[in-house]
Amino acid sequence: MDDIKVNQNPKLGSIDRPNSYIGRSLPRENAKKHLDGGGQFVDDLTLPRMVHVAFLRSPFAHAEIKSIDTKTAKLSDGVIDIFTAKEIDEVCKPWVGVLGHLGEMRSPEQSPLAKKIARWQGEPIAVVIANSRAQAEDALELIEVDWLEKDAQVDMETALDPNAVIIHPELGNNLFWTRTVNQGDVDKAFKEADAVVETTLDFARHTGVTLESRGIVADWNKAENKMTIYHNGQAPHMMQHIIAKHLDLNEGLVRIISRDVGGSFGIKVHVYPDEMAVTAISKKLGRPVKFIADRLESFTTDIHARCHKISGKLGVDKNGKILAMEIDDLSGIGPFSMYPRTSAIETNQVLNLSGAPYVIPNYKAVGTVVFQNKTPMCQYRAVGHPIAVAITEALIDKAAYKIGMDLDKIRKINFIPDNSYPNKSPSGVPLEDLSHQASMDKLLEIMDIEKFETKKKDDYQKGILSGYGVISMCEVTNPSPLFYGVGGAHISSQDGASIRLEGSGAIHLSSSITEQGQGTEAIMKQIAADQLGVKLESVRVTLGDTDATPYGGGTWASRGAGIGGEAVLKAARKLKDNILNIAAAIMQTDKESLDIEDNNVVRKNGGEGISLQKLAETVYYRGHEIPKGTNPELLATASFLIEGIPFVFTNSAMGCQVSIDQDTGIIKINKFWAVEDCGTQINPKLVEEQIRGGVIQGIGGALFEECVYDDQGNMQNATMADYLVPMAYEMPDIIVDHVTTNSGRSIIGAKGAGEAGTGGAPAVIMNAINNALKQVGAEVISQPITPEKVLKALGKI
Amino acid sequence: MAANNTLSISFTVNGEKFNNVNVPSRQHLADFLRSQGFTGTHLGCEQGACGACTIEMDGKAVRSCLVLASQANGSDLKTVEGFDDKMMEQVKQSFLKHNAFQCGFCSPGMLMTTKEILLSKKKLTRDEIRSEISGNYCRCTGYQSIVDAIEECINEVN
Amino acid sequence: MIRLICYLMGGKYMKAANFSYYEAKNIQDAIKIKANDEEAVILAGGQSLLPALNMRLSSPSCLIDISKISGLNDIIIDGDYLFIGALATHSDVMRNEIVSQKMPCLIDILKMVAHPAIRNKGTHGGSIAYGDPAAELPALAVATNAEIILSGQNGDRSINANDFYLGLFETAINQDEIVVGIKYPLLKQGQVFLFDEVCRRHGDYAMAGLIANIILSSNKVNDLKLVFFATGDKPDVADKTAKLFLQTGYDYDQLKNSLSSEIDFAGDLNSSSEMKLHLATILIKKIINKLEA
Repeated sequence: MDDIKVNQNPKLGSIDRPNSYIGRSLPRENAKKHLDGGGQFVDDLTLPRMVHVAFLRSPFAHAEIKSIDTKTAKLSDGVIDIFTAKEIDEVCKPWVGVLGHLGEMRSPEQSPLAKKIARWQGEPIAVVIANSRAQAEDALELIEVDWLEKDAQVDMETALDPNAVIIHPELGNNLFWTRTVNQGDVDKAFKEADAVVETTLDFARHTGVTLESRGIVADWNKAENKMTIYHNGQAPHMMQHIIAKHLDLNEGLVRIISRDVGGSFGIKVHVYPDEMAVTAISKKLGRPVKFIADRLESFTTDIHARCHKISGKLGVDKNGKILAMEIDDLSGIGPFSMYPRTSAIETNQVLNLSGAPYVIPNYKAVGTVVFQNKTPMCQYRAVGHPIAVAITEALIDKAAYKIGMDLDKIRKINFIPDNSYPNKSPSGVPLEDLSHQASMDKLLEIMDIEKFETKKKDDYQKGILSGYGVISMCEVTNPSPLFYGVGGAHISSQDGASIRLEGSGAIHLSSSITEQGQGTEAIMKQIAADQLGVKLESVRVTLGDTDATPYGGGTWASRGAGIGGEAVLKAARKLKDNILNIAAAIMQTDKESLDIEDNNVVRKNGGEGISLQKLAETVYYRGHEIPKGTNPELLATASFLIEGIPFVFTNSAMGCQVSIDQDTGIIKINKFWAVEDCGTQINPKLVEEQIRGGVIQGIGGALFEECVYDDQGNMQNATMADYLVPMAYEMPDIIVDHVTTNSGRSIIGAKGAGEAGTGGAPAVIMNAINNALKQVGAEVISQPITPEKVLKALGKI
Repeated sequence: MAANNTLSISFTVNGEKFNNVNVPSRQHLADFLRSQGFTGTHLGCEQGACGACTIEMDGKAVRSCLVLASQANGSDLKTVEGFDDKMMEQVKQSFLKHNAFQCGFCSPGMLMTTKEILLSKKKLTRDEIRSEISGNYCRCTGYQSIVDAIEECINEVN
Repeated sequence: MIRLICYLMGGKYMKAANFSYYEAKNIQDAIKIKANDEEAVILAGGQSLLPALNMRLSSPSCLIDISKISGLNDIIIDGDYLFIGALATHSDVMRNEIVSQKMPCLIDILKMVAHPAIRNKGTHGGSIAYGDPAAELPALAVATNAEIILSGQNGDRSINANDFYLGLFETAINQDEIVVGIKYPLLKQGQVFLFDEVCRRHGDYAMAGLIANIILSSNKVNDLKLVFFATGDKPDVADKTAKLFLQTGYDYDQLKNSLSSEIDFAGDLNSSSEMKLHLATILIKKIINKLEA
């Protein structure tokens, strides 16, 4: 497969030249190891003298720990020791999940193990260290805890009531953070509007359910004072800093190795108490310690996401022009704000992103984030997007229905025009290089909604409710320092790449971006080989090792291609420049007359060149043959960060067509379309697969996934049999197409592509369902949209 | 009585013989295989719901987390590391071509399920392929590329 | 695959507790061990047992593995019955020629039971003996008035499926007994078994399911037995509703009222009791539509 798409970016040269790899759907040869069973995941690692842990976790959402008796448990077979907060706190300092740039956030100190009070079902309170996980679990059963169960604040909607259970008495109430955005004068504009529509939407908690659960092996080497951590995370350098800081280690002597990661989606970018406890245990025992979360632990301790109730109001004039939008969002984040990114960002994104594709002169948004006794909530794929896009697009559909306008037309007349960038979102966030108009046109072209109007009518005659929807959205990618760093978090917004020509003629590349399966290694290779002029197979890549890669942020917020990729491009160009300088000196010609093609330095005008291997041999082994004063460096390093704006936005338009069984409430998504503008596509196939995987995750949230809690704060469905992830049978085929508007912030011009599917699918699916239900005067407003909710809306039950 | 908390069993993995190996009676086959270095067999849920640990036992696909190691006594086991015949090499090429995996964690189970589909010689539609793989969870791809790859394999094998 | 009725409170585990393992040489051998150890559990296919062990929802003293006993997986015609040996796996049954000729409905049903790799290991007898109220096979046994064959210290006995299921995961199996086979009465002239269920995802336990045993005469439903699953604590027989249907035909409101008085619908995570009642009523319509088709 060598599927040439388009020559997307003139800054990258012609696609017809030799070794042009950017823009081609090349297979990930490097990833074939996974098909041979040769991946290296954390749980695959066994080290000499390695021990295993199992955590005793709170069975209650809110309870006082009167005492913990580990005497009997310590005598159990294979047990090495049992620690509670007292022992772990000797080695690991607590943390606080707040940032400084978004107004006041209030969250208490959190330690690896809960001390006197457990605040969510699943919070770790003690840990057994044993020769095997099974033996550690045997001992868990023998630990005696004297619990005093307390009332739990489970419902976020009553968390600020006067009689709410105060989870952290020192804070006085359960408010974590609040923010208001106010642009223009919404009240005045609503008065002037010809039509005003309102709705309130509910989004259940769901979670990432990475197939590989969280895992860590911590290996403290006393002799070297060195901590080596094998971790399936997304941000090795961030973990290096945090572990050094909280365990009081020399940061330079903390090494994080993240080899293959079995999916992350934001779940694995946070600091988890149990993982911090594991590092502390290794420090205390001086031996390697392994912790692999089991599936029950994943469900109750991986961060959850969403959990929002949002009401919105939209005012339009009789021509459909939007005059004002107002939203009020409430979110519950569990008992702690996660460290170090905080649990405010999802709500912040809701405020920033609502209405973002449209010209909305008057905009007001209020976000309130509260504590509750449930699993902590934090950033997961498409942070805040599903909520922002769903409220915006639901209101727009409602307005269209009210004034009798077509669903595509009302959007088209309100888009921020493609030729008007740089521009600003209704919330005031800078936007540039977007293409809502072109993307919607493309969507309508491939989707043919006229057909669905006819189908809808035919289906209705047959007793089937069918409907369709179209939406537009902005997607946050490639964050700058204004995202986290400015708030005081030690999270690098810069990424680096280092590339060298070796004595054999091989190219070695390392990058601070990590591989989570999205194809980082493949695209880095493509960029390096393309820019250097070498064959793809001559590039070897190292990722995910703080001792072996340049410093940088890692993989999150769709930043790999746009930031990490640009660093690779710059490093490759630097190395090429060095190589050509040396070659020019050796070949007694000027640099401008030379180029590199297929691993050879060639003369542009013909004539004999020199292979990179020969050149490298000369430089490394017979350096005396190079003319004096020639820079012999065959190693180049570069970094890149986004400056001046908070993010590089991507935009997307999506459509889908659904039908509803009126008897069972079962929804079938017949087809799904997505048009994405992520600028330069380094590997179009990989971009499309990001969209598809993302859409399916969005469908999961829209129709299936929910962390179900009872009134006492017990999660009811913490197994993979009961928590419904999307499986193959119910999922549609997804047609993906593109519009290309390169980012002006970099040479490579790539924007991110990982969030849109998950961010947009819930909105378009809900709109399509409501388009169908509207025929019988029904509506659904709560996700996941279960068969039961549909039947309730239809008045069947 | 032969009942015990550890047992001595014999079996083959990918043709390699294991004679009189001691296993704890409570250990499931996936944990046991992994302890022997066959780390290509992945554990996603340990309750039979995700399909990642699916291997071949005596010619049939089974969830290795739902089989005790002791039950494998006398069995011929095949794990992803042993999927090296001509048909499976072709399947791997097809998976690679369609990018029918991202992180690779589901791939061993997905390949085993594909193998069983192909051995059945059934000419399945896309919907039927989706039905056959509906016990294998993949969080990354959204399944379409996997269906594409299997569809192509079915066409080539038949 | 196990369905957790409720999420366990307290400790959370994923590695089984210790137990001893015993590979039974023959059925008498297995019966002897089981008779003498109340905490011993039979291991056949293990597809429901293993998850329960891994999560320590079940901590038996000993597993008696009967899976290697020969002669327990026959599928044969035995007089007026189709006999399926307890150890026949779901895959064995699905591929069996006799089944496809004599009881094609069973194949349709098994397609809805979990997924291929589970069906390769899960056994017919195991599913019958486990008695999960959301599972298809116990309801099928009840609907078809199947005979369940048990072997015990005093020899074999046969019990009608209608008397076999006593309550939630509770059956008439005595301490010393093991299910060795199931006898389904062969279809008579004009008789048909029909099945349908409503699931959120393919292969999941249903929100509600129905197996109907229908006797037709001159293209009219002459007699009808309705057995629902995933509705209560065991297969739910709805004789009153079946009779009402025979009298009045399909009338949603009437049948719903009748079902609601006849079955104690118990809601679960995916569907409330109200939802199950509605779906149960709808399933009668779906079955009738199938019959007409």
